[in-house]
Amino acid sequence: MLILKRTLFYASLLSIWQLIVMLEIWPDYVVPSPSAVFGAVYQGFTEGHFGPGILSSLKRLLIGYGVSVVFGAIMGAALAASKSLEETAGSLFLGLQTLPSVCWLPLALLWFGLTDTAIIFVIVMGSVLSITTGVMTAMKQVPVIWIQASKTLGARGLNLYLRVMLPAAFPAIVEGLRQGWSFAWRSLMAGELLFVTVGLGHLLNVGRELNDMAQVVGVMGVIVAIGLLADRLIFAFADRYISKRWGFRRA
Amino acid sequence: MNLARLLKTDEAKPEAGFSSAGVVMELNGVHRVHEGPNGPLTTLQNVSFSVRSGEILCILGPSGCGKSTLLNMMAGLDTPTLGTVKLKGRTVTGPGADRVVIFQEAALFPWLTIAENVEFGLRIKGVSAGERRDRAITVLEMVHLKEFAGAYPHQLSGGMKQRAALARGLVLDPEILLMDEPFAALDAQTRDILHGEVQDIWKKTKKTIVLVTHNVREAACLGHRILLLTARPGRVKKEYTVDLPMPRAIEDSRVVEVTREVLHDLKEEVRPKPDSN
Repeated sequence: MLILKRTLFYASLLSIWQLIVMLEIWPDYVVPSPSAVFGAVYQGFTEGHFGPGILSSLKRLLIGYGVSVVFGAIMGAALAASKSLEETAGSLFLGLQTLPSVCWLPLALLWFGLTDTAIIFVIVMGSVLSITTGVMTAMKQVPVIWIQASKTLGARGLNLYLRVMLPAAFPAIVEGLRQGWSFAWRSLMAGELLFVTVGLGHLLNVGRELNDMAQVVGVMGVIVAIGLLADRLIFAFADRYISKRWGFRRA
Repeated sequence: MNLARLLKTDEAKPEAGFSSAGVVMELNGVHRVHEGPNGPLTTLQNVSFSVRSGEILCILGPSGCGKSTLLNMMAGLDTPTLGTVKLKGRTVTGPGADRVVIFQEAALFPWLTIAENVEFGLRIKGVSAGERRDRAITVLEMVHLKEFAGAYPHQLSGGMKQRAALARGLVLDPEILLMDEPFAALDAQTRDILHGEVQDIWKKTKKTIVLVTHNVREAACLGHRILLLTARPGRVKKEYTVDLPMPRAIEDSRVVEVTREVLHDLKEEVRPKPDSN
C-alpha cells in the first residue's frame, strides 16, 4: 500500500515536471527535462567522472566522520562523567556549536592550504560537537535505577561502563551519531562547493560553469540518494535492533 | 563534624537474647542527615537493629520516614551520617553482590533477555557460560518463568518482571535479599500471587530477606518480624514478632489480627503531631 502510494506520488511528480518542460515557458538551461537529468546522470557514471567524484567525497566524509565519532565519544563521555568539565568546556562547546561549519573553511585553508585536510577539518568541526553533546546527553540520561541495580549485582568500574552505561545509552548515542552524520555530510558539501577539488561539490560547480542544468540537478539527485542510502543502511539497521530489544518504535 | 557532634547519642546496646552467630546484619546507632532546602534534615535517628539469619524482616513505616534510605544503607548505596551497618561483622562500605536489592521497578536491563538479565551478576563474577545458563534456568524455574528465558523485559507483565528481578537476585545466592517496596507498583491480584511466591521461595531457600513496605497487611503476611518506624525522623517505634506458620494469606484471621494491632500503632504516626512542623 505504501509502495503504491509512493509510486503514484513520484510518477505524478515526474509527469508534472515533464508537462512544465513541454509548455516551454523556460529554456532548458533553467528547467531541464526529467529525461535530460536522467541522461546526465547516466552519462556521468558511464563516462567516468561521477565515480571518482563520489569516491573522493565519500573518502573525506568517512575520515572526517570517523575522527568526529572517536573524539566526540571520548569528549561526550568525559563531559558526562565530570560536572566541572561540563560547566567549563561544555559552555565553550555549546557556543562553538552555533557557528555554521563553513565558517571554519577560511581558517582551515590558512592552516592546511588547498588540501583534503582542510575539508576534512571542516567536516570534523561541523560534526564533532554535535556528537559530543549527543553522547554526553545519552550518558547522563541513563536511569539511576539501572546503575544502582547493577552495582548491587556486583558491577563496578569498567564492567559497569561497558555492560550497563554503554548499552543503556545506546539508543540515544545512535541518535547523536545520526545527527553528527547529517552535519558531517552538510559540512562536506559546503566545503567542496567553496573549494574546488575532485568531488561531488566540484561536479555541481562544473555543471554551473557549463550552464549544464541537467548535470546540476542530476548531481543533486545523486547527493540525495547517497544521503538516503547511508541513512537506510546504517541507521535504519541500528533502529531495528533497538526497537526489537527495547520494545519501542522510533520515529 | 558539627553535624556529627550535634547528633551524638548513646551507643546502642547490643540486643539481649540473641547470639551473634544467628545475626547476618547489624545496624548500630544509625543516623542519616540530608541536606534539605531549609538546612539539614534528619531522616533517620539512632536506628539500631539486627537481621537474623533466615528470617523475613519487614520494615514498615509512614511514607517519608526514611525506610528506603535505611535499605539503601544496608545495600551500601547510601552511607550513614553516624553509626555503622555491618554485614557478618564487617562494616558495609559499598554495594556488593552479597546484598542484592529488588527495587519497586524491576530495573531489568532492556537490552538483555530474561535469561541474560538473570546471568548478569554471574557474568561479572566470571562464572562460565554453561554453569551460568544452568543456574539461571534453575532459578527461573523457581519463579515460574522458565519459558520466558528468551524473552525481552518489555514482553513481560509487571508481575513477571518483578519475578525476573527476584530470580536475578536469587541466582547470586546473596547473604541478604533486600526488597524495597517490591510489590507497590503491582495490582492487588498480582501482589497476592507474589506474596505466595515469596513465601514459597523462602521455604525452599531459607534466604534472609529484608522487605521495606508501607503496606501493613503485606508486612503482617510476609514478616517473621516487623519493625515499625516512626514518622520523620525515623526511629524504631516498636518490634513485632509474627509467630505464624507459612504459607500465610492476607485474609487469614491471625494475619488480620496482627495487621489491626500494627495499624493501630501506625495511625499515631500518620496523625500530625502538634509539635512537628
